[in-house]
Amino acid sequence: MHDEPDDTELEEELRRVAALLDPVPSVLLQAAVEAFTWRTVDEDLAELVLDSLVDHEAALVRGSQDRRLLCFHTSDVCIEIAVTSTGTSRALVGQLIPPQPASVEIRHRTGLVTLESDTLGRFSASSLRAGPISLRCRPGPQAAGRAVVTDWVSI
Amino acid sequence: MRSQRADGEDVAVDPVEIGGLTRAAAGGDAAAWLGLVECFSGLVWSVTRRYRLAAADAADVFQTTWLRLAEHIGRIENPEYVGAWLATTARRESLRAARAATRILPTDDAAILDRNHIDDHSPELAVLDAEQAVLDSDRAARLWCAFHQLSRRCQELLSVLMASPPPNYLDVAAALDMPVGSIGPTRARCLQRLREKLMSQDVVWHSPGNE
Repeated sequence: MHDEPDDTELEEELRRVAALLDPVPSVLLQAAVEAFTWRTVDEDLAELVLDSLVDHEAALVRGSQDRRLLCFHTSDVCIEIAVTSTGTSRALVGQLIPPQPASVEIRHRTGLVTLESDTLGRFSASSLRAGPISLRCRPGPQAAGRAVVTDWVSI
Repeated sequence: MRSQRADGEDVAVDPVEIGGLTRAAAGGDAAAWLGLVECFSGLVWSVTRRYRLAAADAADVFQTTWLRLAEHIGRIENPEYVGAWLATTARRESLRAARAATRILPTDDAAILDRNHIDDHSPELAVLDAEQAVLDSDRAARLWCAFHQLSRRCQELLSVLMASPPPNYLDVAAALDMPVGSIGPTRARCLQRLREKLMSQDVVWHSPGNE
């Protein structure tokens, strides 16, 4: 039988056991290291300001059980997307506000999907795999405006 | 306010050093980013584990948290406290994932099964794997089992405290959304309970192959 250890020793022992029995999976450590390569420098960051999943009022007014609404904005532009789920497949429709054409990159863990919005800033994509995504939009005619990236969010 | 643990030699999280790593990573230094991952991946993981998410969801939260940091790193107000920023982000994203999990029905999709595989190590197997290790595997198994018999509140606190390397109390407070001042007393109470569970021999553990 062990002597009764003091709190620090017991906590250290727990730490060793946790590191052995519930370590950070190595694929995730690798993903955390690689996250740095997605970093952008010159883009404006559009922060997530509304998610119908957690903002109850927004969900009541604008969301539905099947559709998740997300809204990101900078001081100049707002990007709204609605996400629908089928198993692990995700489809989204998006809209830039104020309405304006834009080229849009959907950044996700397996790479990039590049698309062009219509003249009113609407765009859509389907068959995306569930997981973290971020949008990079270059608004304006000929995508001449300042590029914007959204916060990463898991869909 | 405590910003650093005073209780051990294994304190790895020094705010000044962390501030330096954060600023360097914001400037594009990949080695500094690696330093941040080494310092805080254990903390972020412990937060996602606290919410008992499915393995695929926990993995998504973990990745989303680090991707968020990559985008925010040049904009963080207090680079010294990037650990608290990560812990808070991981907590919020875990809540989001927990909410999503109640809406989206599980499927038998092969991709999900495949992704669950990362969590597919039972304590039994891990303990057997570790027989070469310095750790006393029987004691480890009993401790792990006793830990899982604690109240949810105690498991939540201890699981964050026992992240590797040890987080400072400010980060723990951010991870659990609790006042810094209540961490110490709650920790002492929970460790006492754990000790009692270990002492009372009602922790049942069948070690395969040893009986």
